[in-house]
Amino acid sequence: MIRTADARREILRAIRESLAESAAGGGAAREGPVEPRAAGPGSAVGSTGSADPGAKPRGSTGPAAGASKDVVSSFTERLAAVGAQCTVVRGEAAAAHALADILTDAAARRVVGSDAPLVQRLLSALGDGFVRERLEGLSRDGLFACDAGVTTAQWGIAETGTLVLESAREKNRLLSLVPPIHVALLSSTCLCDSLGDALARMSRASHAITLITGPSRTSDIELTLVVGVHGPQVVHVLLLEEEP
Amino acid sequence: MSFERSARAALADEQLRGALRHATTLFGERRRAAMATLPDWEGARDRARAIKDETLLHLDRYLEEFTANAERAGARVHWARDAATACEIIGRIAAERGARTVVKSKSMASEEIHLNAALAARGIEPVETDLGEYIIQLAGEAPSHIVAPAIHKTRRQIGALFAEKLGMEPSDDVAKLAAAARRALRRRFAEADLGVSGVNFAVAETGTILILENEGNARLTTSLPRTHIALMGIEKVIPRFADLEVFLQLLPRSGTGQVLTAYQSLLTGAKRRPEDEGPAELHIVLLDNGRSGMLAAPVTRQSLACIRCGACLNACPVYRQIGGHAYGSVYPGPIGAVLTPQLFGLGRSSELPYASSLCGACRDVCPVKIDIPALLLHLRAEVVATRAGKPRLLERLAFSAYAAVMARPRLFESVVRLARMLRVMLPLGAWTKWRDLRPLAPRSFREEWRTRLRHEVAR
Amino acid sequence: MTMRVSLFVTCLADQLWPAAAAGAVEVLRRVGCSVEFDERQTCCGQPAFNTGYRPEARALARRLIEVFESSDADAIVSPSGSCTAMLRHYEQLFEDAGWRARARRLGERTHELSSFLVNRLGVEDVGASFPARLTWHDACHGLRDLGIRDEPRRLLRRVRGAELVELSPASVEACCGFGGTFSVKYPELSVAILDEKVDAIERAGVDVVVSGDASCLLQIGGRLSRRGSSVRPVHLAEVLASRRSSPP
Ligand code: SF4
Repeated sequence: MIRTADARREILRAIRESLAESAAGGGAAREGPVEPRAAGPGSAVGSTGSADPGAKPRGSTGPAAGASKDVVSSFTERLAAVGAQCTVVRGEAAAAHALADILTDAAARRVVGSDAPLVQRLLSALGDGFVRERLEGLSRDGLFACDAGVTTAQWGIAETGTLVLESAREKNRLLSLVPPIHVALLSSTCLCDSLGDALARMSRASHAITLITGPSRTSDIELTLVVGVHGPQVVHVLLLEEEP
Repeated sequence: MSFERSARAALADEQLRGALRHATTLFGERRRAAMATLPDWEGARDRARAIKDETLLHLDRYLEEFTANAERAGARVHWARDAATACEIIGRIAAERGARTVVKSKSMASEEIHLNAALAARGIEPVETDLGEYIIQLAGEAPSHIVAPAIHKTRRQIGALFAEKLGMEPSDDVAKLAAAARRALRRRFAEADLGVSGVNFAVAETGTILILENEGNARLTTSLPRTHIALMGIEKVIPRFADLEVFLQLLPRSGTGQVLTAYQSLLTGAKRRPEDEGPAELHIVLLDNGRSGMLAAPVTRQSLACIRCGACLNACPVYRQIGGHAYGSVYPGPIGAVLTPQLFGLGRSSELPYASSLCGACRDVCPVKIDIPALLLHLRAEVVATRAGKPRLLERLAFSAYAAVMARPRLFESVVRLARMLRVMLPLGAWTKWRDLRPLAPRSFREEWRTRLRHEVAR
Repeated sequence: MTMRVSLFVTCLADQLWPAAAAGAVEVLRRVGCSVEFDERQTCCGQPAFNTGYRPEARALARRLIEVFESSDADAIVSPSGSCTAMLRHYEQLFEDAGWRARARRLGERTHELSSFLVNRLGVEDVGASFPARLTWHDACHGLRDLGIRDEPRRLLRRVRGAELVELSPASVEACCGFGGTFSVKYPELSVAILDEKVDAIERAGVDVVVSGDASCLLQIGGRLSRRGSSVRPVHLAEVLASRRSSPP
């Protein structure tokens, strides 16, 4: 029987003893060229969370309201660089058309969408020729048999071509992962410049936040790239610009 | 097997050396290219190291903060003083839930505690799902690189392995091999009751754990089964959510030469409502296993700043020749040569600190500026001071004699002169077997100085 | 105003590569320094330090600190990056604040030859002539501990008749595999690393490989000669001291 409370006490005591020994042994920086001269007063920082030695205060560029052309083009460039596709559309009707085209081109028949209202609206606008699965009650095997998953993304990161999916907003974890094709709907007003901006804006209420940069990939055999090993082979972003 | 013998065996394996040369060179090139995409590389390294130093100096508080926040979000946090306890905790959780299959995503900590053997002993089958880990599990081997576990194998060898174990047509088409693994592993994911993952970063401020990967197997492992267990060394904690930025800039660039890996999962507790996606339970196991002791001095403390990117392996001239297995440890290469003795005892790995030419390439590439050569020197001094490992009688004698002679310039000169006269060859068969030994000069510099040079003046 | 230099010759150059040490004297004098040499100096203790024998290293460090403290020379100069780096490490051998300060002072006074010429004296052309195709081997401690990369190259480019050929990018900063006791503890490994370097040197089609450390030259030269290569190992100080008009 392991009493985890005892283990906790023991580990914390060991940590404190070691740190005390280190402090007694002539201070933190007194061991030759060993402790790299990091910028900032690292060791002088007091209580937890009271100081911020590492992260430089970053002038957040603020919400990307009306997403400038620059952000959109660097986002789409980065998407291409990481092997994701992107279609820019204006308005929901155009989005529905584009979605149908994407699925048809990819020969996807069995399609499953998240519970986001936008996704549901677009899926119901799909014509015949598609089998629309419902996520609720779908077994693992049923899910594994789907060709495409459609979700929204809450944020996009321009500097890396990354999608940010938050669990609090819709059921997107499995749909963006299990089917070989993932289509993500993203509003261009939700593009962030940098990873740092995105981290600052993410909803921490989500128990799962997933960052997706391109399709699933591996280089485990001779460092040779293979796309789509466990997750989707195709990631297609439908970037929705506001209707004027 | 001693390091010396396994290194010799590795040197004789031409296929291995070819695979290593290819992989480490490519890794190096990709790392350099990726580095160039970050404007202030040095600044990022300094910031990351400062965050790590600050965390480690207050590790007790940050661990408590992390634990409180993770538990508030619905996770259960377990503390394990050593490997056996960690295996026991994970094994018991699995057994209590009647798990028969455990899917695993890549975790060096789980390798460190030999979790697979512990699970198997309970009749629970562990299934590695990272392609590289899957390959070496099928082959019954240990990982040879902390980022790319099967780097020592050629596609042909993997093709033969898959033909034997998965019954597929022999192939050396990498895409076919990956597809076969995907198919086989999907079946295992479909039936898995429990997922075990590692952790790259744990945020104290929010109780979040972050897992980085490319394949999607870690996402499957942490979202399909009902129960998720995340195993992490106590050094993985960082103070703030915003601190993730700099580490996400450094780790993928240093590790695989990517700007960002395909996936980052940021998990904060278990799901909130039954109808949500994801595991109903999240267990986080905090592993000490010798780490707290490393905090006792600045030189050893920096070992805990490591973010396991593997860049030092790729840059190391020794690793590049012999690969990971020769180190006889789950942590190979330069960082392995300093972690292994600290984690598992100097007695059993007293050779490892000497497995380096001290060239310093590891320190140059390390994204958190760990001074590995200084650590190697520190551990060598420990080996000598504590008489760890083999006796080294001759070596001790030689260094006492050396120190005695070098402290007396006259004696030094007489000794060298005698050696010169008698044409004494030092007992350096280890040198002369492959290299010619330059003879002592007929006249030393000091003799030249005395007789000639000192009297000449500046021209 | 003449700069007064005390030479830290290193035991290796003293007994195995005296031409490097003599070359350093010649070059320093040529650029206007006066040179002194204290015969009480022997070894800096690096072999002991690098093998883990700290008490032995500490005793030798104390000696050398005392030897050089007795000189009021403006600078201590050494034809070895590795031993210069060792002197800069002395501080960590001591706990006592007094010794630490003395060790630090010695480290600050000591310079590797090429860095002293270029950075302290601002000299690049030392009036040398050495007609040969040559390549430069970056010794690891000079390169990574002292940050010496451009200095020797700038000096070599000003040597009359010398043509500097760089090794391939993958090999230019590669270690030669010497590593002190490493080279005899793990000889096969040391030679495997060395062979990649020697292959690159031979591919470069040079007559001479130049380095700033006698230890690397022993290692590289020992293998070159065993392989029957015609490439010769030469110390930087020898090249800079040379006035020859025909190929070596
Ligand atoms: S020691 Fe540095 S370079 Fe090596 S794995 Fe750790 S973080 Fe990466």
